[in-house]
This record gives sequence, C-alpha cells and structure tokens, in this order.
Amino acid sequence: MSSETHADPTAGDTEPILTVENLQTAFYTDRETIRAVDSISFDVKRGETVGIVGESGSGKSVTARSIMGLIDSPGRIMPGSSIKFQGQELTELSDAEYRSVRGSGIGMVFQDPQQSLNPVYTVGNQIRESLKINRGITGEEAVEEATDLLEAVGIPDAKRRLDEYPHQFSGGMRQRAVIAMMLACDPDFLICDEPTTALDVTIQAQILDLLKDLQEERNLSILFITHDMGVIADIADRVNVMYAGQIVEQAPVEELFANPKHPYTRALIDSIPGEHSRKEGLETIEGEVPTPNEPADHCRFAPRCPKAFDACENVPPQHVSVSDEHDHTAACLLYPEDLTESHRVEKHLSLANDDTEGDT
Amino acid sequence: MNRGLYLIKRLLLAVPVMLFGLTLSFLILYLGPIDPVGTILGRQATPEDIRQLRIQLNIIYPNGEPVPLWDQYLRVMWDLFTLEFGQSWTVQRQTPVIDLIVGRMPATIWLGFWSVLIALFVGIPLGLYAGLRANTYRDYFASGFGIIWRAMPNFWLAVILAGLITAGGALDWYKDFIVTTTVTGTPDVLNNLFTLYHVFEGIPLLEALAIPVPNLIPMAIAFKWILPAALVLGSSSMGNEVRIGRTAVLESINSKYVDTAKSKGVSGRKIIYKHVGRNAIIPLLPVIMGEFYLLIGGSVLVEQVFGINGLGNLFFRSILGPDIPLVMALVFIFVIIQVTVNIVQDLLYTYIDPRISLEDTQ
Ligand code: SF4
Repeated sequence: MSSETHADPTAGDTEPILTVENLQTAFYTDRETIRAVDSISFDVKRGETVGIVGESGSGKSVTARSIMGLIDSPGRIMPGSSIKFQGQELTELSDAEYRSVRGSGIGMVFQDPQQSLNPVYTVGNQIRESLKINRGITGEEAVEEATDLLEAVGIPDAKRRLDEYPHQFSGGMRQRAVIAMMLACDPDFLICDEPTTALDVTIQAQILDLLKDLQEERNLSILFITHDMGVIADIADRVNVMYAGQIVEQAPVEELFANPKHPYTRALIDSIPGEHSRKEGLETIEGEVPTPNEPADHCRFAPRCPKAFDACENVPPQHVSVSDEHDHTAACLLYPEDLTESHRVEKHLSLANDDTEGDT
Repeated sequence: MNRGLYLIKRLLLAVPVMLFGLTLSFLILYLGPIDPVGTILGRQATPEDIRQLRIQLNIIYPNGEPVPLWDQYLRVMWDLFTLEFGQSWTVQRQTPVIDLIVGRMPATIWLGFWSVLIALFVGIPLGLYAGLRANTYRDYFASGFGIIWRAMPNFWLAVILAGLITAGGALDWYKDFIVTTTVTGTPDVLNNLFTLYHVFEGIPLLEALAIPVPNLIPMAIAFKWILPAALVLGSSSMGNEVRIGRTAVLESINSKYVDTAKSKGVSGRKIIYKHVGRNAIIPLLPVIMGEFYLLIGGSVLVEQVFGINGLGNLFFRSILGPDIPLVMALVFIFVIIQVTVNIVQDLLYTYIDPRISLEDTQ
C-alpha cells in the first residue's frame, strides 16, 4: 500500500456518489394517486453501503427503480425531485441517455434470481452481453473475462457453467451469476433490492460476504434494500428507515441499533429474533403499512404508533437531529426531546412550512 | 438424450398412433351401412356382376363364403402399410388412388401454404405490436381485429365471402381486380407455377433432379385466386396468434429479466428483439403448429364452398361414395401429417425453450 500519510481513499472522500433529494414518485390510477415515494432525501458516499429498510409497501423498491429510471406508466417521478449520480442529474435524462448510466454507472440486482436471468439464454451469453455493451469486450476475450467473473463470485467449474442455462443453476448460484453479470458492467454503484430474500439463511450469509468482499476489491458503492433488520445490521454502514413512502429515521448502523429513536425503528428492532432484541420474546408490529394515497399532512405511522398523541394526526413530522455526536435524524413529533410538547409541535410545523416555501 | 435417438423413439411410438387411427376409421366405415357394390354397379346390375365385384372387392370368397371382418381388416392394413393404395371404387372408378391424390395435391398445398403464411405474417406481428403498445388505442384496434377474426366461424365466413365476391356481391370487383381470375373452381395456372429445369441432363443419377423456378405471373394469379379461401381457412388461427402474441409479449416485457437487462444498459430495441422476442415465441409455437390440424378439417369445408378441387374436396366425396380405398389412403396421409407435426413441434420446443428437455416432452 502507499505511504501512511496517504489516507484510505474512501475515508477521506466525502463527496457523495449518489445524492437523492426530495424524490417523489407517484402512481396515478383512476381512483387515486399513490405517493409510493414521498419526498425522500439521502446520499451514498463512495465505497460505502447504505441500507434502506422497511416493511413491504414502504416504497423501498420504488426508490430503487426510480434511481434506475425504471418507473413505467402509470408511475411518474414528480418535478422537483432530484437524483444526482456523480454530479449528473438523472431525472432529466432521456431514455437513450439513461442507458449509458445503467450498467457501467449503476447496476442493479433484483430480489428473485429465479426470474432475473432470461431463461432462454445461457448464463455465459448474458454475462457476455454485459461485457459487450458496457466495455466493448467480445469474442474469446469475453469468454475469458466471463469465466473470471463467475470464479470471482464463487462459482466452481466456471468455464463449463457458462454454457449452462439459468434453470440448471441453484437459487444461490443463480444470484451469484446475476451479481457476476452486473459486475461485468463494471459499475461504480450497485443497487441490491432484497437480493437474499428468496434464499435460505446459509446462502444468504454467503451472498452478503461476497458483496462485502467485492465492495472492498472494487471500491463499489452499494445501496442495499431489505425488510430484514438482521441483514441491515450485517451489511450497511448507514441506514435509512422507510415507512409509507417516507424516510422516518437516518443514522449510522451502530448508532441506529444502539439508540433507535423513531417508534417505528424501535418496533422493527424489537421484531428481530435474537441478539438485537431489547425485550423478552418476539414483538410484532400490529397492522399494515397504509397505502400513501393522501398528502403527508400528518404522521403516517400514527395509527400503529404506541406513543401517538393528538398532534400526530395533523402535523407532518420533520427530520430533526436526535444525537449530538452522530449524524442521526428522526421524523417524529417526540423530538427534539428537550422541548415541551407544544414547542416540539411548533418547531415541526415551522420546519414543514419552510420546506414547502422552499419548494415554490 | 440426443436428438437422433429421440427421433427414432418418437417414430416408433408413432406406429401405434397410426394403427389406432386407421383401425378406428376402418371400423366406422366397415361397420356402417355401406353398399359399395350397389353404388358402383347401379340398379341394373346382374347377380353375376355383383358376385364378381364382391369377389374383386374381397367381400366374399370365390366359393361364396363371406370374408370375415378381421380378414378384411388385415388385408386393408397390410395394403396401407405397404403403400398399396389400390384403385378408386366410386369417385373415379378404377383410377389408382395414388393418381387421384397426387392430382389433387397442388390445390390443397397451395391453399394450406397461404392460409398458414397469411395468418402467420399478419397475426403474429399484429399480436406483438398490440403487446408492445398495450392498452393504447392502437392495441385496442389490433386486438379487436384479432377477436373479430377469431370469432367468425369459418363455415360462416366462407359462405359470406364467397357470396360477396361472386357476381352481384358487394366485392364482385375482386374478380377483375388487376387480372381477371375465377373466384371459384381450380384454375389451370396451378399446374404452371414452376418451370422445371433439368440442369443435370446426361449426368447419371442426378439426371432426374430438376430445379424448379417460380413463374411469377401464374404465381400472382394463383395467389389472387386462393386469397379469399386462404383468409377463411387461416382466420381463426390469425385471431389466436394476435391474442396469444399480445399476452406473451406483455408477460415477457413485464418480467424481471427485462428489468435486469435494462439495468445492464441493453438498448430498448435489443430488449425487444433478443429478450422479449424469443420468450414470446414459446407460447406461440403450439398455436402455429395447431394451424396444421385446422387445415385438415377446414380444407374439407373451404374447398367445398369455393369449389376448389383439392384433397379436402376429394375426402368429402370419397366418404359420400363410399370410396373406401380412397378414404383409407387419405386418412393414412392425414394421420402421418399429424404425427409429423407433433414430432416437429416437440423438437422445435427443445430448440426454442432450453428448459424443456427431451425427457419431459414424452
Ligand atoms: S409523530 Fe407521533 S405517531 Fe408519529 S411516530 Fe412520532 S409519536 Fe408516533
């Protein structure tokens, strides 16, 4: 390695590779407008893994698809949203321009490895397709590179398996192949949308280890999406907790698990079996994530929140800092803790007004 | 299992299928109330003529004893499988069956060829188009077109169309459109579609080979003549192809592997051709192959309505006869076609869809 004064390039580099600001993605149906992602902001720095965690229906996957530019009608990214990748504003790109960002810029691994490979082409064919489009590698060289990639993701007998079809791979092997296919694009940024959910626990751990290794080797930035707090604890550096289209708490991973502030985050942590559980037995959160089909003029968690009070029904909570040492914010009317209830409500109201004024 | 071995196995398995089909036809014909002798000889036949003919048709032995059914059955089957098709009884007395069939073949092949092709080249693109533009007005237009074609039964459509284009009908200009053609009956141009060039003259063995070169003008005339009948015969297949093609494209385009391909940066055009196209063909294959079945049944009707002298028409007349050698020979050919189509379909599956292995298709 280089000299001691030259610090780890990832540590000193605080310039985010991806900045999402005020992202709003809505789906228009005949009956209602579903605000699947409702004004969220977060960033991902180079070489870092940022997690998004939440129950199904919280808008995690729509966030990922928005970044990839995969939102189809009747969905739409609303004006005022901003997704900046390496300084380039993605929301303004045409479809053709987006194509140059996908693959070589941002790659994505989907939840179900069963379905994310095309069943009628060999695994090798699909990896070579990535190589050709993004790196212009073809022919014999592509075969060699594809073999190396399969080996890199831990598939034994790689050369032979290139000629096999996806259905001849087991679930775990298939997800490895998908990861290899994405690595073939040589992306700077990888979005993993529940990549281990369809796999059993041992395979899941192997895939997570694989991602960590690859990240270290290639200085990859990863956005990792899951509903599983245990997985988040394992892989993420920083975490965004999502609920009904909004981020309700943001914190570095240790801080989040040590000092969860938002009642929803607490409930999520309590529902993990094993070491992180702070209570005896297993807690579940009653009810379901509501469909966010109304403007956010209240706390969407209120119906399920054990701490809800009157103001929660008509004041939209804003992100406020909840820690002195860490970059830790929560959107809940219980904070900042040192203020009285009426002062807190007032603070959130004025923050909300500033925000809307800023928009117009 | 390799494909050669599989093919041999399938061919062997086809034998019982053929036996069953032919036996069934034999039983229906021979157990039914038939009197070929009466039909052939007419009312004025002398008892001696009748006796002679019965012996000749293998219904009685020369000593007057009736030939048992199983004996007749074995004789008929043996003849068929040794390709001895015999002579026609009633349709064209004493003409070899094989000559009759060969003579009628061109019209039916021409009809079948175009009905498959038109359905294929209109139905599939239209279905794919509708799928790619799902839930737009263009889609509704294309799907509506498919549903209408699918919904019109061919016996009805045949009569209506024939009525419209014959004299006095709303479309009777069709007869004189570009070139004057008949709209019913079988034109002579069918025998003139190709010119054979014997290029290997004087070279032993190859001498018999000739290169057919299409004659464009007779082809065009023959096409115009067959178009209405081919449209009718292919109508329901065309509708089916629109419908299935649309669904197949929609299913594929919304699949995760298309999202994944997009995430790799694959261009929209390539996604359609490579990733959607190949997958959408899979559910279309049985529809396409199914056209051949429809052809066999449909040609009987369509040829009757449009007065085409083809195999379907021949089949119909041979059953009315009854002209048993002719019926059995035609059934024999039809069963062979069906069995072949089945085998081809299963083999094609293994090429198009790698998830299907030869072991599963049996
Ligand atoms: S704002 Fe109110 S309802 Fe919402 S999480 Fe905080 S306490 Fe619960």
